[in-house]
Amino acid sequence: MRIFNRIVVVLLLVGLIALGAYTVVYSFELFGRKLSDLSTALQGFTSGVEGFASDVENGSLPILTIALLVAIALLGLVLLIMELKPPRPRRVRMQRGTYVSPDLVRDEVSSAAEETPNVLGSSTKVEAKRRPGAKVNLQADVRRGEDMSAVKSDLRERVQQHLARAGVPLSKLKLKLVEADPRQAKTRVQ
Amino acid sequence: MAGGILDLARAASEAALATEGVYSLGTGRYAEAATYEGKEKVSGVVVKPDEVEIHIVASYPLARPIPELAQLIRERVAPEAGSRRTSVVVEDIEVAREDL
Repeated sequence: MRIFNRIVVVLLLVGLIALGAYTVVYSFELFGRKLSDLSTALQGFTSGVEGFASDVENGSLPILTIALLVAIALLGLVLLIMELKPPRPRRVRMQRGTYVSPDLVRDEVSSAAEETPNVLGSSTKVEAKRRPGAKVNLQADVRRGEDMSAVKSDLRERVQQHLARAGVPLSKLKLKLVEADPRQAKTRVQ
Repeated sequence: MAGGILDLARAASEAALATEGVYSLGTGRYAEAATYEGKEKVSGVVVKPDEVEIHIVASYPLARPIPELAQLIRERVAPEAGSRRTSVVVEDIEVAREDL
């Protein structure tokens, strides 16, 4: 997953930059820092780590620290699960050995949506799933004052019938209706 | 087997194009769909060691549902493909020229 890789690379690069900056500052004795001070700084760091470890052993960590550690662990778990999940396929699987492009499904859904009365325009997102069928998110612009539930059920039926005629399986159809002014509808005005 | 893969790709391409409801061969959406050998290439067919992938553009209006069209193509291409399995990828639907 890209976000996991990006977080790891960003942390790595930030660490490298910090290390490089410390090396330059201590090597050239800038800002009054000397290489001999480094051992004192490292001792401070190690004593801090030792203090933290002894707090963990004694079970005397502050609540805030425990909450932070739990949050980090959960974040790591979520990122690990997302990283381990296989990538989403790029094509919509229909049956064994048959695929259609998501663009084709999107065009078919849009054409079915815009044939529906009182729908002024639409925008469609199609996701291919690992199992057969596409997940479709359809947002339709509907004239103000229309019976939204009637339009929604008509729209759902038309999209399902249209895709069924083409033989495209639908795994999930999510509809969102938005009231729109016909004068501002991009696609058409009925 | 000189020219074997290209010959197979050409035969598969001809068989697919001869199927009613196929407007043209596709070129691939995310990567080029073609078979290369030497300086030659056949577009729309990808011959893999165990699979022949045919990319098509279907004619609009659809003469039959896409799964049936894919099955027809598969039946036509199977004799050329031998032991390789055949996959059909429908990239788009185009209005046939006579309907324009």
